[in-house]
Amino acid sequence: MMELQITLLMVIGLIAIWFGWRVFRTNSMVRSAFSLLASMVAIGGMFLVMEAEFLGVLQIMMMGTEMSIMAIFMMMYMMDPGGLGQMDMTHQEKPSIVAAVVTGGLALGVILLTNWGDIVPAAPAPAQQNHDLGMEVMQRSMMIFESAGTSILTAMVAALATALIIHNNNQKEH
Amino acid sequence: MVLTVALIIGTILFGIGLYGALSQTNLVMIMMGVELMLGAVMVNLVAFWRYLHPESYSIQMFVLVVMTVMALEAAVGFAIGTQRFRTKGSIESEESADMKG
Repeated sequence: MMELQITLLMVIGLIAIWFGWRVFRTNSMVRSAFSLLASMVAIGGMFLVMEAEFLGVLQIMMMGTEMSIMAIFMMMYMMDPGGLGQMDMTHQEKPSIVAAVVTGGLALGVILLTNWGDIVPAAPAPAQQNHDLGMEVMQRSMMIFESAGTSILTAMVAALATALIIHNNNQKEH
Repeated sequence: MVLTVALIIGTILFGIGLYGALSQTNLVMIMMGVELMLGAVMVNLVAFWRYLHPESYSIQMFVLVVMTVMALEAAVGFAIGTQRFRTKGSIESEESADMKG
């Protein structure tokens, strides 16, 4: 069972990494948005492999809608949405590569040098997981859950207040 | 072994996201980099939950909070992009020198 999980994690993980890499390597913005969608769905697939069924399905559903919206915004706001002009869309590329490699290397060192302890062989069944997560949300983590809800409301208000043009009708135009 | 594989995949995704967030000039592309980094964080969290503490559901709760943060980041980012595009006609970070504090 563990061997199957390792194999599936590797395959789906490589798909996620490949599409994540394609996001920044293509000129077409629609392709880039849908590569990110594929990468996120692959991450959801990894959740399913790791037996977190609820989170996996939630991830796939949320990212499906979010990345489709992102694709629309990309086409609205990009200088060159089709990538036909071969514009260079990057800056400070070398420092970024160095920063990414150094951070990744540090994390890799931590992963390989830490003794993570014993792997638990079996996870709870999906129905049990949902029940226990519900109990967690409604008991111990209730404040966190409610703050998440409040921050969604705050972000909605903030997003509307930022994006809307507010006409002040009381002010006389000169 | 299986935990290490999951964590390494998370690390590589985080690295790609960091590269994208630092190197892209367009606001939407920078946001995509941030989303990739948050996705990598979620992979790590789920791997820790499954292979180290399947009895502790606060980790799954944490994943839910990270998913919320991803959605909020997209919403507020697009709002800033909309306003910026309306006033300046572009959301390139190279042309945002006037936002320097």
